[in-house]
Amino acid sequence: MTDMNTERQSDNQKPAQLRERDDIVLRVENLVVNFAVGKQTVQAVSNVSLDVARGETLGLVGESGCGKSTVGRAIMQLPSPTSGEVIFKGQDLTRMSGEQLRQTRTGLQMIFQDPISSLNPRRKVKDIIAEGLHIWRRPNQEARVREVMEAVGLDPDAAADRRPHQFSGGQCQRICIARSLALDPDVLICDEPVSALDVSVQAQILNLLEDMKQRYQLTMVFVAHNLAVVKNISDRVAVMYLGKLCEIGDTEAIYARPAHPYTRALLASIPDIDPDSNLPPDHLPLLQGDLPSPANPPSGCRFRTRCPHAQALCADREPVMQAVPGELTQGSLEQRSGKDHFVACHFPLV
Amino acid sequence: MRQPDNSKAGTQQGDGLAGKELLRVNNLTVRLNSTAGLVHAVEDVSFSVGEGETLGIVGESGSGKSVMARSLMSLLPKRATALRQGSIRLSGREIASLTERELQKLRGPAMAMIFQDPMTALNPVLRLSVQLSEPLQQHLGMNRQQARMRAIELLEAVGIPDAVNRIDQYPHQLSGGMRQRVVIAIALSCNPGLLIADEPTTALDVTVQKQILDLLSTLQRERRMGMLLITHDLGVVASRADNIAVMYAGRLVEIAPARTLFKFMQHPYTEALFNSIPRISDPSHTRLQAIPGRPPQLVKPAPGCAFAPRCPYAQQRCHRERPPMVKADDAGHLHACFYPVIRPVAAGVDPSALMQKRSGQ
Ligand SMILES: Nc1ncnc2c1ncn2[C@@H]1O[C@H](COP(=O)(O)OP(=O)(O)OP(=O)(O)O)[C@@H](O)[C@H]1O
Ligand SMILES: Nc1ncnc2c1ncn2[C@@H]1O[C@H](COP(=O)(O)OP(=O)(O)OP(=O)(O)O)[C@@H](O)[C@H]1O
Ligand code: SF4
Ligand code: SF4
Ligand SMILES: [Mg+2]
Ligand SMILES: [Mg+2]
Repeated sequence: MTDMNTERQSDNQKPAQLRERDDIVLRVENLVVNFAVGKQTVQAVSNVSLDVARGETLGLVGESGCGKSTVGRAIMQLPSPTSGEVIFKGQDLTRMSGEQLRQTRTGLQMIFQDPISSLNPRRKVKDIIAEGLHIWRRPNQEARVREVMEAVGLDPDAAADRRPHQFSGGQCQRICIARSLALDPDVLICDEPVSALDVSVQAQILNLLEDMKQRYQLTMVFVAHNLAVVKNISDRVAVMYLGKLCEIGDTEAIYARPAHPYTRALLASIPDIDPDSNLPPDHLPLLQGDLPSPANPPSGCRFRTRCPHAQALCADREPVMQAVPGELTQGSLEQRSGKDHFVACHFPLV
Repeated sequence: MRQPDNSKAGTQQGDGLAGKELLRVNNLTVRLNSTAGLVHAVEDVSFSVGEGETLGIVGESGSGKSVMARSLMSLLPKRATALRQGSIRLSGREIASLTERELQKLRGPAMAMIFQDPMTALNPVLRLSVQLSEPLQQHLGMNRQQARMRAIELLEAVGIPDAVNRIDQYPHQLSGGMRQRVVIAIALSCNPGLLIADEPTTALDVTVQKQILDLLSTLQRERRMGMLLITHDLGVVASRADNIAVMYAGRLVEIAPARTLFKFMQHPYTEALFNSIPRISDPSHTRLQAIPGRPPQLVKPAPGCAFAPRCPYAQQRCHRERPPMVKADDAGHLHACFYPVIRPVAAGVDPSALMQKRSGQ
């Protein structure tokens, strides 16, 4: 314990939220993704560091355009990041190429955000799902295809020979999920996997992912904007704003005690399903102002242009990730070291 | 602060204060050809939407919501459509039988649609400026410069930061939620009288979602725009819809003013749908109550109630006979079930316990 602490302190670069554990399957360190748009450079992802342990689900939330999908794609090396490391089972994917990368990457699968357009319209459903099995010459392909179709609630007899355009949006999403599960991946990156689904199918899929996790120790990164869904599926949650990580930690801690002003605003805007409790929907607090352009982010803290607690310091200095202070000073040493809750804010809410 | 949406609470009770009837659909039936056989996608659907009013449509994935929406706009693929019958009246005018030319004049100004999958609704090789300006030039007679200025305003209205620069980008350069907002901007560009919004906010986080829904509410208030809001998000319909229709296997199974539906739902499918929502107040990893079994096949539908194989209340009759739409009250609440959820106490169910369970959620 002491050793670890001194090591951390001596190594200034090491982000506080990264954990020292042997069961870390995926670690992303100082991930940067820039896009050239005309003469400008868009910093879609800026210095994001996070890790996911075996069998763990990390929820990734944040405003539209904050870089969630870009993080997911950068982990998959689609395309590979501008800089930073993506360590999957001890190997840095950003240093791999060609056949080695393709081999290693079969252990990582991604469900993309636009379900319908990511399916080849000319192929039959069974061929779409079997694609990976075919490329990697896996045995018993037909049986495996039936198995995963059943698992996601598609009738193999009725659906296998149809083409994607004959399915509804939600059915296409299930085809995508079946395809990604077919190869039995270690890590599944899900980009909005259930937002196109009705709540009953959504419940089925969330339960299914939970079962997969129990049964195969499936590790997941789960991008979604529905905060109730994220809470249900995640062990840990990471909150992003304008390309940066602003808060990360244990799900219950973040929902019960959001420490970053942005997280708090996000949690306060959830529409309520009880019609009596939200007569005027306008009463909900809304973030003031627009998301700034990622081509020209604010100095210091990127949230400062919309933060109700911003002070002069926030414009001058960028806040670094630190353990949430209130939670550190309470309880015994053991309890403190068990606290998994980090925030990047000069004046965290505690 | 403004207090516009308080007024909405009044019309939610179906008290007849809502505006003139804008859209009336009677006995709409749509069947599509597929390799697996004839798909009974929409069966005998009837409803109406008043000016300035919102009808929320919820239901099982694959239950025919999008096909219904497209058929209202006459945008179904011609070759796949085996049958479309029934009446669609827009401001009193029958539009189901119009020619493609006549329809083209209506699409945009009279009615517009936000499609479910933004990427397929946008042309990947055209800049946003082109895609946004086209309807403005065609329907509103603007010149290129005017259309461009208006297009930038529209992007700003849907909350796209840096619209002046974004307008020259291609769809793949935007995030998923931005693409969805561009599709919304295009649909709103000609001030439609009726907006059919198919999952307009699925790709949006809660803050942007709220911004968009507020924008739509404002348009409804100011221009009396009627809206068909198809969504899986029951929180959204709860707060935004005047009336809610529930679809299952191509049919409407329940329709009611929003608050009535939430408080006095009658159809077992509606109940099951509400029970499967994850609650923010529940701890992580709470097992969700999914509806057991598979959603129904719309090819060769079985006789009887389509929900019968999955319904906890099903009896023999349900497998043989199709339950017709019946009135639950005189204020616009209809359902199609032989054994509705809140039954007389004689049937062995305590309605007050059911009510408590629901309102406690
Ligand atoms: N290929 C690209 N070229 C240029 N800019 C891009 C490209 N892909 C993404 N971006 C930009 O990067 C930023 C982050 O996009 P990203 O898709 O990661 O957002 P997101 O968090 O997934 O949002 P959403 O919730 O809307 O899907 C956006 O500003 C987007 O416009
Ligand atoms: N072009 C088509 N050809 C044949 N069948 C189709 C076609 N489009 C949709 N279908 C079928 O029609 C039924 C209704 O589909 P629709 O897209 O309306 O569902 P939905 O209620 O919108 O579902 P979701 O909530 O998943 O979007 C589905 O069973 C689907 O498989
Ligand atoms: S660092 Fe300052 S501006 Fe940023 S979130 Fe904290 S208080 Fe707000
Ligand atoms: S008619 Fe019968 S099977 Fe259908 S919903 Fe009602 S009780 Fe269930
Ligand atoms: Mg995205
Ligand atoms: Mg649909």
